[in-house]
Formats: sequence, structure tokens, C-alpha cells
Amino acid sequence: MNTPPHVFSVRDLWKVFGPKADRVPGDAELGALDAAELRARTGCTAAVRDVSFDVRKGEVFVVMGLSGSGKSTLVRCLTRLIEPTSGEVTMDGEDVLAMNAGRLRELRRHRASMVFQHFGLLPHRSVLDNVAYGLEIQGMGRAERRERAAGVIAKVGLDGLESRRPGQLSGGQQQRVGLARALAVDPEVLLFDEPFSALDPLIRRDMQEEVVRLHREEGRTMVFITHDLNEALKLGDRIALMRDGRIVQLGTPEEIVGSPADDYVRDFVRDVPREQVVTVRAAMRPADSAESVSGPALAPDATVSEAIEAVVRTGETARVVEGGRCLGVVDHACLLGVVAGVPAVKEAV
Amino acid sequence: MARTRTPVVALASAAALVAVAGCGAADMTRQASPFANARGAKTVTLSVQSWVGAQANVAVAEYLLEHELGYRVDTVQIDEVPAWDALSQGRVDAILEDWGHPDQEARYVRDKKTIRSGGELGVTGHIGWFVPTYFAKQHPDVTDWRNLDTYADSFRTAESGGKGQLLDGSPSYVTNDKALVKNLGLDYQVVFSGSEAAQITQIKQFAKEKKPFLTYWYKPQWLFEQVPMTEVKLPAYKEGCDAEPEKVACAYPHTPLKKYLNARFAGAGGRAATFLKNFSWGTEDQNKVALMIADQKMSPQDAAKEWVDANEKKWRAWIPE
Amino acid sequence: MTATASATPAAPLGTAGPAASLARHRTTLLLTGAAVLLVLGSVLVGHGAWPASLTVDLDGPLGDVSDWIIDNRDTHPLFLYFFGHLSNAVVLSVRGVYLVLLAAGWAGVTAAAGLIAWRVAGLRLAVTAVVAFLVCAVLGMWVPTMQTLALMVIAVLASVGLGAVLGLAAGLSDRVFRVLRPVLDTMQVMPAFAYLLPVVLVFGIGVPAAVLATVVYAAPPMARLTALGLRDADAGVMEAAASLGATGRQRLFTARLPLARRELLLGLNQTIMMALSMAVIASVIGAGGLGDRVYQALASVDVGAALAAGIPIVLLAVVLDRVTAAAGHRLGAAPRPGSARLGWAVAAAGTVVAAVVARTVASTGWPDGWTADITRPVNTAVGWMTDHLYSGVPVVGGTADWAGRFTTWVLDPVRDALQWLPWWAVLLLIAVLALLIGTWRTMLTAVLAMAAIGVLDVWDPALDTLSQVLAGVAVTLVAGFAVGIAASRSSRVEALLRPVLDVFQTMPQFVYLIPVVALFGVGRAPAVAAAVIYALPAVVRITTQGMNGVDPVTMESSRSLGATGFQQLLKVQLPLARPALLLAVNQGVVLVLAVVVIGGLVGGGSLGYSAVFGLAQGDLATGLVAGAAIVLLGLMLDRVTQPTRRRSGKGA
Repeated sequence: MNTPPHVFSVRDLWKVFGPKADRVPGDAELGALDAAELRARTGCTAAVRDVSFDVRKGEVFVVMGLSGSGKSTLVRCLTRLIEPTSGEVTMDGEDVLAMNAGRLRELRRHRASMVFQHFGLLPHRSVLDNVAYGLEIQGMGRAERRERAAGVIAKVGLDGLESRRPGQLSGGQQQRVGLARALAVDPEVLLFDEPFSALDPLIRRDMQEEVVRLHREEGRTMVFITHDLNEALKLGDRIALMRDGRIVQLGTPEEIVGSPADDYVRDFVRDVPREQVVTVRAAMRPADSAESVSGPALAPDATVSEAIEAVVRTGETARVVEGGRCLGVVDHACLLGVVAGVPAVKEAV
Repeated sequence: MARTRTPVVALASAAALVAVAGCGAADMTRQASPFANARGAKTVTLSVQSWVGAQANVAVAEYLLEHELGYRVDTVQIDEVPAWDALSQGRVDAILEDWGHPDQEARYVRDKKTIRSGGELGVTGHIGWFVPTYFAKQHPDVTDWRNLDTYADSFRTAESGGKGQLLDGSPSYVTNDKALVKNLGLDYQVVFSGSEAAQITQIKQFAKEKKPFLTYWYKPQWLFEQVPMTEVKLPAYKEGCDAEPEKVACAYPHTPLKKYLNARFAGAGGRAATFLKNFSWGTEDQNKVALMIADQKMSPQDAAKEWVDANEKKWRAWIPE
Repeated sequence: MTATASATPAAPLGTAGPAASLARHRTTLLLTGAAVLLVLGSVLVGHGAWPASLTVDLDGPLGDVSDWIIDNRDTHPLFLYFFGHLSNAVVLSVRGVYLVLLAAGWAGVTAAAGLIAWRVAGLRLAVTAVVAFLVCAVLGMWVPTMQTLALMVIAVLASVGLGAVLGLAAGLSDRVFRVLRPVLDTMQVMPAFAYLLPVVLVFGIGVPAAVLATVVYAAPPMARLTALGLRDADAGVMEAAASLGATGRQRLFTARLPLARRELLLGLNQTIMMALSMAVIASVIGAGGLGDRVYQALASVDVGAALAAGIPIVLLAVVLDRVTAAAGHRLGAAPRPGSARLGWAVAAAGTVVAAVVARTVASTGWPDGWTADITRPVNTAVGWMTDHLYSGVPVVGGTADWAGRFTTWVLDPVRDALQWLPWWAVLLLIAVLALLIGTWRTMLTAVLAMAAIGVLDVWDPALDTLSQVLAGVAVTLVAGFAVGIAASRSSRVEALLRPVLDVFQTMPQFVYLIPVVALFGVGRAPAVAAAVIYALPAVVRITTQGMNGVDPVTMESSRSLGATGFQQLLKVQLPLARPALLLAVNQGVVLVLAVVVIGGLVGGGSLGYSAVFGLAQGDLATGLVAGAAIVLLGLMLDRVTQPTRRRSGKGA
């Protein structure tokens, strides 16, 4: 398979808070303890434990976990807003942890921008100047940065609010400002730290769609932190599921939902509407000769729920077609098996 | 970052200070008031002490300096001892009424030579213990200190506890009263009213109700015009009997009040300095002006004007050619 | 002094079940311990005042220091190259500002004040400012007002500069903050009077000493609030700035400082108010200006003249306070239409035009014919009051009778009791009280401070002062709580009270002295009375705020349970407002002490008198010892009444 190059590459990353934190990662015995024991023994808390993953160019990489799982610490380690205790972080092949202060600033100014849960807007500046803030820090002239900022403001749908102060905006609007500020510097990667969890459900959905749209239009690499499984499944190309500082499973939404790595993940994804996540590629069975010529055609990455609709509408078995070739078919039994969460059906046929 | 910045800021401000102030040595004997000589006028700064007699001197001197000699006058209220210091530093040009401070005179006039004597004011001051005349008339023997103990009860107040009250005034005034009470073995408690204002208020209140009281007071003082008081005889004053403050057991002396000028001002102060050296009037004159200020509540300027208008012959002699 | 209340919010005390039972336990333990020590002490140490063997006589050494300074001031390099320049710089800058103010003339200054107030705070305050300055002129106080203003400008600039530098250091460095914070907290509660002596020692009487005393007094709130503001900067915003690659300097100037604007302005406001109150008190050491006029008027019992100089001070205070406060309120509001720069240009142009027009039409000085003399009517009124209220009023008795009774029945017994107590029992009492309200650390500070007073050999006068403070605080609290509760329960009372409190809180302490002398005579009673009047507004205000701060939901739920108004007050409001009430006690104590000390000028005696005496006689040894004792007494009283503050988890 032709894998795109990695934007971020993380290896054996540890972040331990507490006294003499750096003795923990190297010590196999301490590393094996659970959080409470570690705290009792050393007074330390390991927020990120031995994490490794890669973020591919152009993908939306979601880190998901409950609060306290270490996901927010992890994303801050990527640009060293929090200094990792040990491990390796590279961006486009360059060692981030070895960067000097100036080089690191360059990274933050031009290559990776972050959107925060609580927005982090400057209350004394107008929307326009907040959006232009990153450009100001880069040292761009006033007129130029304001012009650039105005363009981004239009892109995120805040036209007409340029001169307002953050305090006069709704939460959703404020986060659009935060998003615009990150976009204004035209970074290679956008980092999102639970950007929508402080928003109302309806506004949250709007914002998620906004992110989807932006990603579709620009194809920018995104690292997205969330505690909301549905958000993760909706946005993520790949999801890293964290628990107690470790990644317990890393895979596509379909892999996470379809084949949970352990009981914790299984428990986690139990209530997920699988038909919206699992694709027909995973649900199909080999076609016999009659089936391979008739019935509605579906792309392999169509979801099961789309297949259900097609099957119900035509009353026939649906074909999974890629490049004019029939890969397999999905019938009532396959599809119901997915909905019921019983994979045995597929293998039985 | 933070650790390096603080000393930098401190250094910068120190440097700025030096730059502002110039780099040479500062002359600590030229410390004029920032409000002096504003807008081109030649200014004389006079120390005015808190008692009204001193205000009367200053008011008349101020009026004449401004109207006859064309100076601007700034007055500063400073207590007696600090005024000597201010005089030596040039913050003040002249003191017009000093009640005798031998220590200060030795230090500044004799040793440092930053202050020069300006001659006598023409008024003789005297400190003593006084009782209201209405009480002295009823009890003539109260005017001898030996009989004071028999009247201790009459002079008792809430502040003096079980003893008689000897009302003292401002902390800035010359007083031996605590030592006197102790050394004469009197059954009295010295109660400091804290300021002359407070003491006057108190005396007036007593007088209004014709109550007996015993107070530290001094002459000349305009209050005698309103509340006639009779002095209590203390053991007679002899030269040097008040040399040791702890052991004083005699009356206060009669002091010719003196004027002092800043040495530089005395030399280079032109007509103003000469005028102030010439300035000399009598007890009666001072009382007249003081009474107008303190009792009729006239402004010092108005009071001075009234006296000046009526006494041209006296002040003409002070004006230098 | 007056503005400290708003800056020190007290965190609620622990109220959980186990904590409460522990606290009860603690009380029992404490009392048992105290009783045991009491018995032990009486057996082992015996009775009496502070033992002479434990004192240090500082008169000699301090006198030598004072003499050395006077003898070497004209020659020693320390003076020639440091203090001399400092003093000259102060004189030069005050003079510069003064000349500018005089050159602008009354029209120019008034126009500038009005236009600045308009730009910063809106039209209403602009009118207030203009009227205030015109009243100063009408009262014939234009030149003294300008002198005070010139002194204030320099003192405030220096205070703000110094405070900002210290605050910046403490805001950015944990170590500096840990060192500075207790110092600043303590300076905040020191009586103004105690600051005067050390500067006089070095600079002598005069404007430099006055300015420096003012700076030392007024800089702490700026430093304190700057540090707090910088430290409390929204962590999220700071992180966002860092994530965009801001350098340390960029983070400071584009994020941390702007985020602290509210605190910085509050600091400016407090600094200005404290500078004004100090500039007035500093007339005792030659500040000149309005304070000097008050001081001179007091010397001749001239209430009218004192008021004529006091009113401009109050007006100045009200205008400065409102304008800076309004600037704080406007933060975060929508930017007004129109360019700000244009507005300022209009303001500057208006000032110049007014100054020039007035100068060409008339002179820069206020015309003599336009002044009004309030001295006589005021004095007539005061005279009437003394004539009719002083004594012999049927049934209630006169004010002098009250003062006498207060002295005999309250002040004397309290003082005698305190002085009768053996010294170690006094220390024990302080320790127990401090432990009941505060922590081990506050207890230690309080006891050490009191012991130091003994070592300085001013034990008896200090207890005398203490007795006045205690009596004053008792009266203040009873009256203050009553009025405060009334105000919190009736918005009409509060509306009536607010302007009165505002004015009273900005009045110079000096002005209170003369009417109380007129009413109560000389002695400790009038000193206490002045202290009560001075401290009352702050106590009333904190009480009202505390009572109004009680959660309305709690009030509603108690009403829904059928509680009467009185039950509500007793069972809900008062317990919940406990932190505010404790703060009121603390403030009351601090403010009462500040004025009781100044009461030395009207016969309050004891420490205040010694401080005045030291200043007046140039006997700095006496004055400095008394000043130090005042500081220690203030420290002790503050610590004993300081409720435990729960420190926030983050940062230091």
C-alpha cells in the first residue's frame, strides 16, 4: 500500500508529573504499576505512558479517551507546550525534542497551530485582531495581517463580527474565532484540544461539520482530541483510543467498532450505531455468480446503513463494486449481523 | 527570562535617576522648596510655627515683603527643632520667633555656620503654669506652688486619674513639666493635649463653665485677652537651674525671642534679608495681630493689613533704603 | 488605607462536618493549654509589666545615628551622590509639574481635567471634575490645590513605576513573589504615621521627604495588584499565546499585561487614593499644599479654614477615584464609535484653547473677586454646636459629659486591666486569640510583634494605645454592623448611605480631629471618636457587601421554609456572611489604629504622642521607637484578626 509520508511520528513517549519524574520511564518495574500504585510509591503521575503512533499527511487523526486518560497532555507534547519526560517526537522527520527555542517557535508559528477547549482568546482585542494575533507574533505588518485575517474570518463564517470583542460572542462564535486564528497562520497541521466540548449539542454538530468541510476543501492534516466517541467516529480517519496514559487501540473507526482490541474498548463502543461506521467491505461475503451481476452497486467504503437503504429499496442483494469489479455482496443476513454486533453470521455463510 | 529582567530594570531606573540628577555631587545645603520662586518672582520662604504669635509675625512680614518690597512669600509650617534643620538646608530662609534652643544654636550657628542670628524680635517670652484668674481670685493661695496639692482635687479630670491635672500642650514646645511635678513632689498628672489647638479648645471650654484648671501656658499669648489667667509661682529661676532636664525644679526663664536666617540668605538675600533683620516689634503689637487672627477669625493677610495701615511709623523703619 | 477592603477577599472558612468538629476540638485544646500555662506562669514568672531586664535601650544609638546624619549630611558621599540627587530629582520634577500647572492657569487645568474625565469616564464625570476644580478655586485654594496636585503627580508616577517594577518581578518570579507578598500585605495595614519618621531622618523636613513617604506608602497596592493580576492571567490564553510561538516578551506585552489590565487599573486607583491621603498627612513633615493649610488651621482651632482646605482634598479624591474606577469599569465594553485618537486630539486641543483664551482675556490666576469665604459661617456653626451641645444638655447630657463617662467607664478600666495583666499573660492571650482565628504562623507573628514592643521598652504606652484601639473597635463594630445590616436590608438606606460613605472614606484623617475636639474636648475619648468615624464607613461597606453577597437561592429557600425576617438574618445571612464580617473586624482594627495614633495630636497620648513628639522635637530616637512600636502593634492586631485565607492551589 502506498502510505503517505508521516507528519508526526511519536515513539515511546512518556510524560510523568511529579518529583524526579525521569526515573519512571526507564524503570520497567515502575512503568508496570497502575496509577494509584505509582503515586503511592513515587508521588508521580504518569499522564502519557510509552505511546507510539504516526500521523499521516492529510489525515484526521483523533485521540480519544475519557478525562484523565492523558490525551490533552499528549497533544501538548507534540509542540512541547508540555515538555515530554522521555521518548521521541519528530515532525516531517525533524526531531522536535532536540529543537532550540528559536526553532521551536518557528514550528509553533508556522507549522502547527492549536485550537483550545476554552478558546484562549484575548478579551481586550476585537475578533479581527484576535484572528490576526498569530500573524502579529510572526512579525507581520498591521495592514497585511488584518487583510489576511479578514479573509479567514469570511472562511469560518464570522463576517460582520470583525469589530466585536470575544465577550460579546456566543460560545460557538468564539470557537470559530479560535479556529480562524489557527487557520490564519496557514499551518501544516491543526491541533484541536477538545474544541467543541464546551458547546451546546446543536452548535457542536455545526462546528463538526465545519471541520469536515474545511478538511475536505483544504486537505490539511489534523490531530483532534476528544472525549466524545461519536465525534471521533465522525471526524477521524484513524482513532487512537487512550486509557490511563496508554493507547489501547489504534485503527480506523471501523476497526475500533468492528473489532475492539479488548473488553474496555468493546464496552466503550457497545452503544455505537455500528451500521453507520462499518463499511460494506467489512460486512460483505463472497458473491455467487447470479448475485455478481444484478442488484444495486455500492462502493466498498459505503456504510452498512447506506447498504441497508439500498437493499430495502430494491429488495435485492447489494453488490460491492470497485473499479467495475464485484468484490462481494451484502444481503439481509450480513447487514443484520453488523447491526446486531454478531460477526459470526458473516463467517457462517 | 524573569530572573534576568528584574535587575536590568532596577539598573535602568538607577541609571535614569543619575542621568536626571546630573552626575556631580548634590549640594545638601541648597534644598529650596519646589514651590519657591515660581513664575519669576523672588521668593522668601518663612517658617511659621504652630502658635498664633508666630503666625502674626509672619503675616506682617509677609504683607510688607509682598506689598512694600515686591517679593513673593511662601510659608511652611514646621515645628521648632526641625525648623532649625530646614533652615540650615535652605528649605526655609528665616525663622522669626525662636524660644531658645542652645543645642541647635551651637550646632548650626557656631559649628556648621549654615545659620546666622537675625537679632531679637523685640518680644520677651515666658513659660509658666497658670490658673484662671476667676479661680485665683476665689483662692488667692493657689498661686504659690506649695499650696497646689491642696487643690489637686479641684483640678482632677477623667484623664488625670486620681491626681490633679496639669494640662500641657503641643509636644513641640519646650517643657520640663514632668520633671517639675516629680521633683517638686506634687500630686499631679501631666496630661498632654497633643497640640496647641486642642489645648486652647480645652481652656476655652473650662473658662466657659468657670471650672478650675491648671495649665502650662506662655506669654505673650492672645488667649490671655479672652481667658485671663494668673501665673502660679514656681521656685525662682536661677541661671543654669534647668541645665539637667531630669533634675529641673525651678521656674522657666524669661527669654528674649530671636530671629535666625539661613546663612546664604543672610548674605545674598538683598533687601528681604535686611528687612527681616530689622523686623522688631513689641509684645502688644504681636498680641493685637494674633488676636485678630485667632479670635476674630480674620485671615492673617487681613489682620496684617489692618496693623500695617495703623502703624506705618513703626514699620517704615524696617524697610531698607 | 481605605481601599484595602476590596482587594482582600477572604475565602470562606471550612464548614464541613469533620472540620467543624475538629475546630471545636481545637478550641477546647487551646483553652486547656492556655489555662495550664496561666497557672504555670503565675507560679514561675510572677506578675508585673514587661521586665526591665528584657528591654533594649535604643535612645542612645538612635540619637547617635540622627546626630551623625545631621553632621555628615553636607559632606558624606552617600548624601552627596545618592540621597542628595534623589532629593533634587524630586524637587525638580515637582517643580516642573507645578510650573506647568500654574502656566496652564485655572482655565487650562480645569479644561484638561474635564476633557480627560470625558475621554476616560464619560460626560457625567467630566462635569463633576470641572465643578470640583472650580469649587477649589472659589474656596480660594487654587494655589495649594496645584501644589498638592503637583506633589501627587510625581508621587503617583513614582509609586506606579516602583509598584509596577516590583509587581512585575513578583508576578513573573515565584521566588520574588514569596518574599514580597508578606511584606506588601503587611505594609498595606501600617498606619500612615509610622512612615514619616524614617524619611525625615534621612531627608529632613520638606517636599522630598513627603514625596518619598508618600511613595513608600502608596506603591505597595500597585505592586501587590500588579503581581496578583499577572499571576492570575487566564492560563488558557497564555497557553494559546505560547502555542502560536510567542516569545517571552510577546507573551508579556500582548497577553499577560493586557489580561491584568483590570488589576492594574485597580492598583492605580488605590495608589492614587493612598497617595492623596498620605500627601495630606505628610504636611506634618513639610509637604505643603492643602494638607499644610489644614495643619495650620488646626493649630489655631479654625474649623472653618480647615474645612476650606479639606473640601478641595475631598473633591480631588472623589474625582480621581471615580475617574480611575470608571476607566476600570469600561474595560471589555465595546469600543466606542469614532477614533479614540481623534477624541484625545480634541481633548488636547480643547485644553490648549481654554488655557490660551483665559490667559489672553484675564490672568492665569483665579480672580480674587470670585472667591467665597466659608470660614466664618462654618466657625459660627461650630461655635453654636459647642455652646449648645457641649455640656448640660438636659436628660442626655452634653458631649463632654459623654466623653468623660466614656473615659472613666470604658477607657480607664480597659487600660488598667491591660496594664494590670502580667506581660506573659498578655502574650498568652494574644496567642490564644490568634490561634482561634488564624493559624500557627499568624500566632507566631503576633506574639513576636508584641514581645518586640516589650523589648523596645514601650510596653505601657503600647497597652494604652491598645486599650483605645479596643474601645474604638468595639464601638465601630457595634455601630458598623448595625448600619451595615440596615443598609443590606433596605435599598433605600443603602442609596442614602452610599454617597456619604464615599465622601467619608476619602476625607483626610486630619479633618476629623478638630470637630471631635470641639465636641468632646481633649483626651483619649476624642481620639477614639475620630477613629470610630474614620473606620465606620469601611466596616459598614464590607458588612453590607457581605450580607448582600449571601446566595439569594439560600435566602429564597429559607423563606420558602417560612423563616421570619429576623430568623433569616440570624440563621442564614449572618452565618453565611461570616467571612465578610471577619474581614470587617480586621479592617476596623487596622483603620482605628491608624487614627488613634494620629489622635496623639489631640491628647490621645501614648504611642501617637511619642511619634508626634519625636517629629516635633527632632528627637528621632523617641519618634522612631514609637513608630516601630506602632508598626508592631499594627502587625499584631492585623495578625490576630486575620481570618485564615485558603490559598488557591495553583502557583505558589
